[in-house]
Amino acid sequence: MNRRIVVFAQSLFALALFAAPSFAADDEALKKDLTAVIALQGLPCGEVVDVIVQAESDFAVTCKDANKYRVYLNDAGRVVVDKQK
Amino acid sequence: MVRYPAVLLILLSAGCASVTPPQPHVAAAQPAAPQPAATNSADKPVEVATPEPAASQPVASQPVASQPVASQPAATPVATAAPQPARAAVKPPPVKPVPLPVLKGAAPIAPAVAASRVAATAPTLDLDALKARLRATKAIGVFTKISLKNKVDDLMKQFTEHYQGKKPPLAELRLSYDLLMMKVLSLLQDSDQTLASEVVSSREAIWALLADEKKFFALQG
Repeated sequence: MNRRIVVFAQSLFALALFAAPSFAADDEALKKDLTAVIALQGLPCGEVVDVIVQAESDFAVTCKDANKYRVYLNDAGRVVVDKQK
Repeated sequence: MVRYPAVLLILLSAGCASVTPPQPHVAAAQPAAPQPAATNSADKPVEVATPEPAASQPVASQPVASQPVASQPAATPVATAAPQPARAAVKPPPVKPVPLPVLKGAAPIAPAVAASRVAATAPTLDLDALKARLRATKAIGVFTKISLKNKVDDLMKQFTEHYQGKKPPLAELRLSYDLLMMKVLSLLQDSDQTLASEVVSSREAIWALLADEKKFFALQG
């Protein structure tokens, strides 16, 4: 019985080990995507360093140069970038 | 019990190994060696244009002149069917020439100067394939794609207004068009060079569609 618990714990550990890099990669891809979106709007940012998911397709973004934006998809299907104070 | 630390070590090293793949993307994109060979089957213009107009191509004007000079003269006289597999391995550099699809349309015209002039009216534009490839590329993120689509829609609206009320002059529209193209290219050039060169080569052909009122409305419908 104890052996099973140990195996289960090890599996969980392994799962966490593999899942962490995958989440990190997704996060980096999202930051890169949002950086490009902000740049396309001609707004200063440099690079997105922090993203908070507020809702589906709605992000609060912090840039390297300390600018903050809200990037979201509006009802008309347009990507909107609003500068936050 | 000794096995467990060993297993953990293996898992740790495996985990670290899985993190590395995204990095070589940037470095690997530069030489473009493996890309054309892999993607050529999908993109018609580049593949078809390379072997055919070799004789009339203004290759000298291309930045590629340094590498393919040795391989191209050898490739032209030889029959096209036999050495294909061998050439596929050596090919990557010759794929670089950007306006090749355009030149394919102009191949019957002998003078090189005429060929470059004809670039604007190149008939070899596969807009649907280009759209599909832009949708499929992983070089541009989802939100960036939506944002780009918004910008394309805006530009199309401006063109419609131009043809209806003649509001924005064509020169201004050309500027907006060029700017949008540059944005697309800047997003593609590092991670999807093949598609970037396709976009560049289609640039004038797309403009020809937009700048012609009849073609533009046909495109809309």
